[in-house]
Amino acid sequence: MKKSHPIRRVVLATAATVSGVVLMLSLKPASDPNAQAAGAAPQQTVAGQEAPQGGTSGTGSANGTIDGAVARTQYGNVQVRLTVANGKITKAEAIQAPKGGTSDQKTALSIPKLTQETVAAQSAQIDSVSGATYTSNGYKQSLQSALDKMKASAPAKGSSGGASQGAGSGSSGSGSGASGSGSGSGAAQAETVTGSVAQTEYGPVQVRITVVNGKITKAEAVQAPKGGLSDQKTALAVPRLNKEAVAAGSAQIDSVSGATYTSGGYKQSLQSALDQAGV
Amino acid sequence: MTTTLAGGRAARRQTMRRIRPRRSPATVLLLAVFAGAVGVLWLWWMNTPSIADQNGKILNAGRITGLLAGYLMALVVLQMARVPALERRVGSDRVARWHAMSGRYTLCLVFAHVFLIMWGYALQAGKSLGDIVQQTIDSINQLPDMGKAAIGTGLFVLIGLTSIGPVRRRLPYDAWYHVHLLTYGAVFLTFWHQITTGNDFAVEPTAKTFWYALYGSVTALVIWYRILTPIRLNMRHHMRVEAVIEEAPGIVSVLIGGRKLHRMGAQAGQFFRWRFLAPGMRFSSHPYSLSAAPRPDMLRITVKAIGDHSARLRELTPGTRVWAEGPYGAMTAQRRSRGKVLLVAGGVGITPMRALFETLPGAAGDITLLYRANTTQDLALWDELAAIADDRGARLMYAVNSPDGERPDISAERLRQKLPDIDKHDVFMCGPAGFAQSVYEALRGAGVPARRIHHESFEM
Repeated sequence: MKKSHPIRRVVLATAATVSGVVLMLSLKPASDPNAQAAGAAPQQTVAGQEAPQGGTSGTGSANGTIDGAVARTQYGNVQVRLTVANGKITKAEAIQAPKGGTSDQKTALSIPKLTQETVAAQSAQIDSVSGATYTSNGYKQSLQSALDKMKASAPAKGSSGGASQGAGSGSSGSGSGASGSGSGSGAAQAETVTGSVAQTEYGPVQVRITVVNGKITKAEAVQAPKGGLSDQKTALAVPRLNKEAVAAGSAQIDSVSGATYTSGGYKQSLQSALDQAGV
Repeated sequence: MTTTLAGGRAARRQTMRRIRPRRSPATVLLLAVFAGAVGVLWLWWMNTPSIADQNGKILNAGRITGLLAGYLMALVVLQMARVPALERRVGSDRVARWHAMSGRYTLCLVFAHVFLIMWGYALQAGKSLGDIVQQTIDSINQLPDMGKAAIGTGLFVLIGLTSIGPVRRRLPYDAWYHVHLLTYGAVFLTFWHQITTGNDFAVEPTAKTFWYALYGSVTALVIWYRILTPIRLNMRHHMRVEAVIEEAPGIVSVLIGGRKLHRMGAQAGQFFRWRFLAPGMRFSSHPYSLSAAPRPDMLRITVKAIGDHSARLRELTPGTRVWAEGPYGAMTAQRRSRGKVLLVAGGVGITPMRALFETLPGAAGDITLLYRANTTQDLALWDELAAIADDRGARLMYAVNSPDGERPDISAERLRQKLPDIDKHDVFMCGPAGFAQSVYEALRGAGVPARRIHHESFEM
């Protein structure tokens, strides 16, 4: 029987909700600290692994693959992978694209066009595919982040290998010739192979390996469970699994205790990558 | 220590032994609801590592409002599932007010969610806020389960509009009620897009499981308590109208016979929702309190002809089948925390008070009934009340308007004068809202703590 104050209640509820939402939004960082840590680490290892290879070939080129950030669109995630040789994009592909329903058609329609355009333009200044605006925008967004990463890693290589940047921008006209995934030059034939996605209870796991002369020189997880406890487990397990994979040269590696699902998914994806590479 | 006479003290102790006030679980329930909301927000927090720009903020505000709306929607339905713990311990009236309040809030969240998400998507597609309508149409066409969600949201708009105060008052009760039943359809239709397009449910299988469990258990409770329990009750007790008796001008009692009615577990002070299977009455049920303690073969309700439905009651013929749902209501002897009780009735609010007056345990002088009506003629059930008062040594007082129409004085001073130890009483009260409000204030003024004033009001 306490007097009710409907207006006061409405005002209070609105104010509390709005300020709560705004507070939560403003507490979120503008860029993902975890993703940077997780994304930067493989990227550095890419550079680390690539440098000796570049050294053997003596060209000082920035070879390898670079993954853009995942762009979330209304219909699903888009993620672009670039294969770079001599500072030039030789190949672009979408390792994630919207799926299901009409999205399948749209993806099939738009992604090939976008990847062709990327190689031709060597930048993110490409046209959207009409009828697939969201996917196109997401693609460009992820592409831009991949290009940013590519630029960021170029000076480091430049210092070790010479004027690769100049060569890269100068020879942009003849870039479309070299296609195929991650071709090195000289005796060492490096190949990157991405295994199939293994679904685990906590999220998909996908492994990418770099194979030189039939040996795994590098293993990394391009996808691993994220969010909550999974972040810790991924951080704990994936680096160990990567090392083990390189050491063992096969999928006969030990699971990381405490991260059984991730380990299982990892081994599964690793096996499929090995099958593809014919190791 | 009180200085009552030995006999009185023994009797009082006897009474008090039966008085075990049960606390309303309202606080615990509200805390649980709050914890759930925090959990939902935590889900969003863990799945959102960063928000890049303005557009991301809008989209994430949309996700937060959507998650909260999805969570609360299940609870809004749960509040009307007629779960005994809510109906009998928290009180049907209070739960109904919660339902109205949280329903309005949830609908606001739903609309905010739709607007924010569509705005965010429009910006993402490189369009502006002005293209939001086109964006909404595109999304409905292209995203999974969005067609259903759109229909469901349309139903929510309709349900919300018919529940706005002035609109509702102008609508016949039945029309409003049947529109309101569409809520089940709307909730069902909007559920699926949460699972198929909800980012957090795609990423977090545990969240998806939890969401299914939440909606699944609410569905199970609704089916159990709103459908199966009433069917079982009515199959078992087989109720029919026995007689209709005019008690006072415009006030009738309906006697309802049936089998083993005491097994329904109804207590004095509770009510049932009644549906009389007579022409023109079968499609709506109405809550009426029992006006006498339930007997194994007989229940009685006493009703004042205010609306359509209650006016038709006097035309009921004996033998009419009755469909009842209940018992509901928390204003029972269990609310009592003291030995002494004051019952206050305004007009036809006498019905639950009459039942309590007869059955509340208490020694002579413990129970007092104050009955307010316009004239002495309007004092329905007076003879019965007088007989009960005589029988158990209870006090019975009435307050009516003076012959020139002046209203009686029910003030703190008058109450204290009539009942010097009024602040030691539990007060049960039933009557029209204005009356209840003024008596409440008088009681508080006379020193009765708010937690000992037990009142049920079905006005929102």
